[in-house]
Amino acid sequence: MSAAHRPSDETLAAFATGRLDEGLALVVATHLERDASSRRRMRSFQSVQGALLDGAEPVAMSIRATDVLARERDAAVMVEPGHSPETGLPRVLQPYTLGPWRPIGIGIAMRKVDVAGAEARVFMLRAGAGVALPHHKHSGLEWTTILSGAYEHQYGRYAAGDFDEADSEHEHTPRVDPVEGCTCIAAVTGDVLFQGWLGRLLQPLVRL
Amino acid sequence: MVPLFDHNALIVAIARSGDRNAFAKLFDHFAPRVKGLLMKAGTPAELAEEVAQETLLTVWRKAALFDPSKASAGTWISTIARNLRIDIARRETRSRLSQVYEIIDEDGPEQPDMAVWGAERDLRIRAAMTELSPDQYRAVELAFLEGLSHQDVAKQLAIPLGTVKSRLRLAMSHLRGRLEDLR
Repeated sequence: MSAAHRPSDETLAAFATGRLDEGLALVVATHLERDASSRRRMRSFQSVQGALLDGAEPVAMSIRATDVLARERDAAVMVEPGHSPETGLPRVLQPYTLGPWRPIGIGIAMRKVDVAGAEARVFMLRAGAGVALPHHKHSGLEWTTILSGAYEHQYGRYAAGDFDEADSEHEHTPRVDPVEGCTCIAAVTGDVLFQGWLGRLLQPLVRL
Repeated sequence: MVPLFDHNALIVAIARSGDRNAFAKLFDHFAPRVKGLLMKAGTPAELAEEVAQETLLTVWRKAALFDPSKASAGTWISTIARNLRIDIARRETRSRLSQVYEIIDEDGPEQPDMAVWGAERDLRIRAAMTELSPDQYRAVELAFLEGLSHQDVAKQLAIPLGTVKSRLRLAMSHLRGRLEDLR
């Protein structure tokens, strides 16, 4: 799958460091799982980190190598409690608990992704063919990866695999593809501010 | 400085025969650097020490998974350190992020002719990094180590946002230029 819209260098570098909010990172990861070109870019950034490690100023350790290995003998084997993954979902969602789909309007359903400790709220959104999502703007970030179908707004058309990186300067009215509909995963920080009467009805629902 | 391939060979020796001598050499080189790098990025000394120890212990355990054609020792070890830092720093919040990184780092459907791409990429990026100006290097460190936004890099260095953007743009285009004929 080759995407037309990809994360910025700034976003991908932050992802590669592991210091991005977990909710935002999960949406970037969903894009990376589908996009070989972005994965390659991210690996170049990891390579930069490797180069920084080689050039790092060493700080003396308080333990010797032999002492670390001695500890290895009595190290407990950790086994992750596994659960059988739901099919059809991105693999990066497998470690997380997902809520049920619930309708939040005509032709729109939402599903919460429980990301403990994240500042961003993460959810999947499924919209029927031709649905216009209410006009909205953000007080924080809204990052989205399209899983299937497509939507379009004033910044372009976003199809399966694409990454949409919106901040508080964006104000948009996404229109869902008239044939395929659209399923996506989004992470939102701050508030999403809907406009109009439909938006005011939706407002309490998207607070999650 | 020890040449890169020596570090790769040490990991391979651990994988083949559990070579404790090779481990001691790797530990002495990388553990203090992992610790230093984490402390530079604001991690408290005690946590940095713990992550550095666990990182090298993971190298010992997972040495058989190291593929020198995909990445150099330094790059591989830095991703292990990143995942462990997340696990240890976010222990209380039940973070799953390190599992997400492991899923992404599994072999994706990359082209088969990319087998040696990673090793060559690492060599070139190392060379290119030594050619950056000290100002560019510092900006790259803040963005690529600490994950700071351009805005926060500007704050930290007390320079205008535009200057940060142009330093990083120049640094990135230099790195990209070195990788150009690789793809």
